[in-house]
Amino acid sequence: MTADAFLFWFLAFASLAGALGVVLITNPIHCALSLVMTMVSVAALFVTLQAYFLAGVQLIVYAGAVMVLFVMVLMLFDLKNEIQAFSRGRAKGAFKIGAVGILSGLIVGAVARVTLFTDTPPSASTMAQASTSVGAIRPLAESLFFDYVFGFEILGVLLLVIAVGAVALSRSKGGTHAK
Amino acid sequence: MPNNLLDSAILTEITVNHYLILSAALFSIGMLGVLLRRNIIVLFMSIELMLNAVNISFVAFSHYLGKVDGQVMVFFVMTIAAAEAAVGLALAVSIFKRFKEVNIRFFEHLKG
Repeated sequence: MTADAFLFWFLAFASLAGALGVVLITNPIHCALSLVMTMVSVAALFVTLQAYFLAGVQLIVYAGAVMVLFVMVLMLFDLKNEIQAFSRGRAKGAFKIGAVGILSGLIVGAVARVTLFTDTPPSASTMAQASTSVGAIRPLAESLFFDYVFGFEILGVLLLVIAVGAVALSRSKGGTHAK
Repeated sequence: MPNNLLDSAILTEITVNHYLILSAALFSIGMLGVLLRRNIIVLFMSIELMLNAVNISFVAFSHYLGKVDGQVMVFFVMTIAAAEAAVGLALAVSIFKRFKEVNIRFFEHLKG
């Protein structure tokens, strides 16, 4: 087994274990910590896919900023092990798990049946060229600021709206439920 | 035999299919979290999990196609996810101020 394959299987196992931890652990702060494990594993998976810049952004934005936000809100709530962490009803629960199982089974079956990108196997030189051009930041920046500049600007407006909305929400007195 | 199994192609040759199946598994686990859990913060965490799963398949396709468009999409998804987390947590804080509870069982006022 090569190092690449071992790395992939290790990271896949770590990310899946973290994801299961988020769903199954009842203490929310432990959920947040296992979500951090998943985020870091996903960032490492980005490195194995040679998306180095995105791996850094994933670490800073997700494992850093978003998780700090989550943990800080959890700190405000001061939650212990909660009662009724899961939805009630054994039949309902089995139905939900079955629905998710069917969905994942369909996706995995469909993906496993086809072999993608084997019709025209790229030669070693073009693969190397493509991987360096994908790994570098410059083509990414050119694509972001030339081809997708409209979406980029829209995202800026969206972030402004979100910032104003979050402040307005935190200042509101409860709307129709106001005492 | 175990040696054979360890060297079989599905274990040693990592293709795009491996990344896609991992992505599907992560997405399904996130969906399970949204369906099963009651804590609104954990629901948001599960949604982040699903968005991350989508990011993996974007980056995998970007790598195996040799194009950067998928990575640009990942930027957009990350921005939306951060915005969603900010608004969601602000909503959670205001819900907690009103109901003193973050378990979605206790604020079903919109339930028909």
